[in-house]
Amino acid sequence: AAPTNILSALGTIAPHRCYGHGVEMTRHMLNERVLLVLRLFDKINPDKLTLESQFAKDLGLDSLDHVELIMAVEDEFGFEIPDQDAERLRSPEDIVQYLCDKLDVFD
Amino acid sequence: MTSPPPQLRSQVIALYKNLLYMGRDYPKGYAYFRDRLKSVFLKNSGVKDPDQIKVLIGRGEFVIKELEALYMLRKYRALKHRYYEKDEATTSATTSSSDKKAPTKTQ
Repeated sequence: AAPTNILSALGTIAPHRCYGHGVEMTRHMLNERVLLVLRLFDKINPDKLTLESQFAKDLGLDSLDHVELIMAVEDEFGFEIPDQDAERLRSPEDIVQYLCDKLDVFD
Repeated sequence: MTSPPPQLRSQVIALYKNLLYMGRDYPKGYAYFRDRLKSVFLKNSGVKDPDQIKVLIGRGEFVIKELEALYMLRKYRALKHRYYEKDEATTSATTSSSDKKAPTKTQ
């Protein structure tokens, strides 16, 4: 059958939705982003930083540094984290798990 | 903080977070503001009496109001400077009385 409209005739143009879905996020990508934010934080020693390192015990952060850290994560991912959730996030692993829950990342 | 109730602790953390948000626009820079804020909070971290903690929280909220007033005044001055010509009336009103003693007769 002959093509009836211009788009199907051209055949190669894919529709581009400017307000479509966001970036597809994987758990690996979240790990990388969270570790990057933490490495840029000046109170954290990047050599000691792993996914399992505890902020208070291993990295020597006090509760006020913790507040600032959570603010940095909020800025990176663009949504606010309430204080009662924030105080449960004690390691990068916790943060990544929390973000997976909030952003519906199932890896 | 073993004796004060946990709600006070969460109020203090919320106050610190608000002050950090306000400090982002501080004229002398975020790092300057943050370092001084942290040292003040650490200095008072040993306080255990709930009433005294409430007084300190009140002081913190007063600082937030002062910062809001500072930013509003700064915005007002910036807009006034940008959009209005300086005329004789405003210059004479805003210069101090010691300046007025010098002869400033315009012809």
